[in-house]
Parts: sequence; structure tokens; C-alpha cells
Amino acid sequence: MRAPDSWVLKIRRMFSESTVAGPLAVLIVIIILLSLFVPKFLSFRSITGIINAATLTGAIAIGIAFLMISGEFDLSVGTIMAVGGYLFGGLAMAGEPFLGFALALIVPTLLGVVNGVILVWTEIPSFIVTLGTKYFYRGMLWVVTAGTMLQTVDRQPIYNIFNGRLDLLNNIFSEANFRNSLIWLILLVIIFQVILARTKFGNHVFAVGSNAGAALGQGVKVKRVKIYSFAISGLMAGVTGILLFSQYYTMRVASGDGMELSAIAAAVVGGTLITGGAGSIWGALVGALVISTLRTGVVLMNIPFIPADNFEAIVGVTIVLAAILNTYLRNRK
Amino acid sequence: MVENKIEQRRNSLVWMENISKKFGTITALQGVNFGVKKGEVRALVGDNGAGKSTLIKVLMGVHKPTTGQIYFNGNPVSINSPKEAREIGIEAVYQDLALVNLMSISRNFFLGREMEKKVGPMGFLDIKAMDTICRKSLHEIGIEIRSAAERVGSLSGGERQSIAIGRGVYFGAKVLILDEPTSALSVAETRKVLSYIENARERQLAVIFITHNVHHVYMVADSYTIIRQGRCVGTYLKGELSEDDIADLITGDREE
Repeated sequence: MRAPDSWVLKIRRMFSESTVAGPLAVLIVIIILLSLFVPKFLSFRSITGIINAATLTGAIAIGIAFLMISGEFDLSVGTIMAVGGYLFGGLAMAGEPFLGFALALIVPTLLGVVNGVILVWTEIPSFIVTLGTKYFYRGMLWVVTAGTMLQTVDRQPIYNIFNGRLDLLNNIFSEANFRNSLIWLILLVIIFQVILARTKFGNHVFAVGSNAGAALGQGVKVKRVKIYSFAISGLMAGVTGILLFSQYYTMRVASGDGMELSAIAAAVVGGTLITGGAGSIWGALVGALVISTLRTGVVLMNIPFIPADNFEAIVGVTIVLAAILNTYLRNRK
Repeated sequence: MVENKIEQRRNSLVWMENISKKFGTITALQGVNFGVKKGEVRALVGDNGAGKSTLIKVLMGVHKPTTGQIYFNGNPVSINSPKEAREIGIEAVYQDLALVNLMSISRNFFLGREMEKKVGPMGFLDIKAMDTICRKSLHEIGIEIRSAAERVGSLSGGERQSIAIGRGVYFGAKVLILDEPTSALSVAETRKVLSYIENARERQLAVIFITHNVHHVYMVADSYTIIRQGRCVGTYLKGELSEDDIADLITGDREE
């Protein structure tokens, strides 16, 4: 008989087995430190600001984390997001918001499938494939839209569905600015986390990302799993395009450039292994929140030599530190 | 003395007759006869590059033989993919490609054959049931694990090997192919893995033990097929040859 585990042991096991425990601890420590040393940090205004800023990165990072766990990268998501944003915004402005919504989900999904099909056919690393399609899709978008920027002052109800004020919460907390996008984000995180951790397909995603040969040996359809994961990455980029247009009422051909890297950063900070096979969707959300919290903290601290524009330096340090922490936690038994 | 070809074809669970395999102008296998009976551990020994893995890949449906015929239960069969091999009950345990290190024992155990709970049209993994069955069935063949939720990567090489064997047994393999199951294992772990092989034999499985380590295979094998340079040197029963004899036949220091 084994003695019942003490709570210390339980916590230690949680840290070594769950990929989200470490990042969550990091987030909590950062919040505690900032609320101790930064005046005005602990207010509903700055907290909702942090959450709203994390929503777009978080949404795109859901797909990226999923794909990274399957062992692949997608550098084209920023471009695909712009495609989704144009389809949704353009058609909504033309009086077809629901058609726009549908196409902003379908077309990005298909662009993701194209990435996946090129990958499994040619066996070129996804880093190269999606670097290519990132520019190719952007070029096509330029041709189709003739480079025109979308912008509207017409506030349609559909925008409110995705990014209206969430007054149910805002009425309770003073100065709060919760948005509907938070509900969509949480819903999507739950859906994809359940798919990843609790379905056969999710099990295959982990297996393919960690040891594709062993997965193949057990009859897992490795190529199909990869294509589906790319489809999810594309779909989430489309969703992000819808959210972004609903938030800013504008879309440019260059919109979303660099978002792929923020998403990868969020996934990595959230405990997703760059080499695949480990990670979580919760973690990607936590990663996006860590980065967003740091950004707000830096802005509020008003440090002379780290202006808000120089925030990238902080993100860079965070990514490396998170990677070190994750490796440390994973290698401990 | 070993039975003649017709008897072997009739009595073996799986029997490969007169197998040749050419890759372009290179002859990898030349007229090899090889098989295994129910409840027998057959060693397939040969030096690196002798054609052991080519022969097994033919059996697993990875390669199509240039000439020759495979029999299962005395009936001619054609195996065109590892999936087909598995469907008729031939399971291979490869050294590095057996398990996914970052996943738990039970997720590995059921990989590709997951148990699901249906909630409407959606199927969800029945993790509790998988953990319980995994633990129980490994226990039944003498493999003790701490927890089915433990990651495979934190296990020793021998434990990993035994879980892959246990998985094959549980899912009803009739022929178990073990590719170098004891290389890179400690003495104690080798002994353990060999005991699981004996256990599989007691359960009337046909076991093919591929190795170039004569010493390990000598402890469990009932018979040996030695191949050298793509040709069958011969098949011998336990006790017909000493360890040194086998080693000499593998290297070709002595011709039969």
C-alpha cells in the first residue's frame, strides 16, 4: 500500500504532468508583482484592457497551438486572418453579413487545407511551405482587393454579436469594459481543448506530433491528421479576422502581418512544445494573457528606457524564459 | 531434425516459402523459407544487413516479394500493408517506433483503437475505462505499472518494450514480431523482457524474435533460422547447436 500523497507531491505532479500549470503560475506571479508595484494596475479598467488585447492573439493562438502540437507551424495565419477579415467586412458592408460570416470561416479553412495538402504531398517542412503561402496569399489578396482598405462607420448589429459591450458584466463591475469577444474566445478554447484532450482525433494529434512513425505503426492516418490540423489553424485565423473587423471596423491588405509570431509566442509561453507532441489550448490562452499583462504593466510603469513601443524586448525575454521554464518542468520526473 | 517444407507449411501458423526480393539489381533475399508455429519462439538471427528486416518487412506487407508465397494457417495469403498484416493477427514491435514518449501509457496502449463514450453524435475518449483496462491487462501478463497515466518517456527501455508486447497480446495478436527487443537493455531488464516473451509463448502466440545477439535469444528460442547475405543458412531446433555454432553460422566462419 502506498501512503496517500501529500499535497506537496500532488502539486509537484501537477506541474510535471500538466502543461498549463507552469504558465498559469507565471501569470499569477506576474499579476501579483504588478499589483504590488504598479499603482492603478489592479482595476477593472486595466484588467479588461488586458483581456481585450489578448483576445485576438488568443483566438489565433488556439489554432496555432493545435497545429504546433501536431508538429507543424503555420506562418500564413496572419495573412489568412486578413482574408477572413476582408470577406466578412466586405460582404457585411455590402449588406450580406451572414454570407460574409460563412465565407470568412470557409475560405480560411480551405487555405489551411491547401497548406496541409502541399505539406503532405511534397514533404517540405511546414515552415517553408507556409512562409511561401504567407506571401502568396497576401499577393492574391492584394490582386483581388486592388489594395483598397475597408473601413466603415455603419455600426451593424452583427459587429455587436462579436465585439459589443458585455453589459451583463460591465454593470456589475465599475469601469469594466468586457466585450462579447471574450465569450466567443472562452467558448472556442473549451471546444478545441475538449477536441484535443478528450477525443480520438486529439489523441492522434498528440501522437503524430511526438512520434509520427509510432503513430503510423498503430494505424493512425498521419497525413489526414496533419491536414485537419492545418484546417483548424486556418479556421481560427478566419475567426480572428471576423473578431478584428468587428473590433476596429477596418481591414487593410497588410493587417495581421506579424500576428503569426505573436500567436506562436503565446503558444510557447503557454507550454506548447515547439517540436510538437505536448501543449494545450488553455495554455495558449494563458500565454496570450501573460504577454498582454506584461504589455499593460510596462505601459503603466512608464519606465523611461522601455517605452511601450519597445515592448517587443519584454516579449522576447518572456518567450526565452518560458521556454527554459517549460523544458525544466518537463524534464523533471 | 526440422520437418520438410510441406510439413512446415502445414504445421506453421505463418509460413513464408521461397521468398526472394530484389531491389533493382540488388538481391536482398534469395529463396528464403521461414515460419513460426503456435506457441513457438522462433529466432531470426543474422548479422547486420543479412536480410532480417527485409524479410520481416515482406511479412508485414511493407515490401512485396519478387517471388514466393506467404501462408497463414496453411492457406496462401497476400499481405499488402501493415494494416492488412495486423488484421490477420501479425503484430510487430519495433525498437524506436513502438511507443509515443510524450503520451501516457494508456493513451499509447489504445492508440489507433481508442475506447469512446458516445454523447449524441460525438465520441469522447473513455479515459477512465482505458486506464483501468490497460492496467489490468498488463497485470495479467505479469507487467506491473505504477499508473496508466504516467508518461511513457519516463519509463525504462525494458518497461517500454514490455508495454508494447502487452499491447500486442491484449489486442489479440497471433504472431508477435519483436525487432531487437533486448538490445540496449540492462541485464535485469533483458531477463524481464525475456520472461514476457515466455509468457506470450505460454499463451500460444507465435513469436518471432529478431536479433543478432545470440546469447539473449539462446535463453528463450525454441528454434533458429539463420540467414546470411540474403540466403537461408538453415533452421535448427533448440539443442542442435551451441551458442558458438550459431555465432559461426551467422558470420560465415563455418559453412554447413
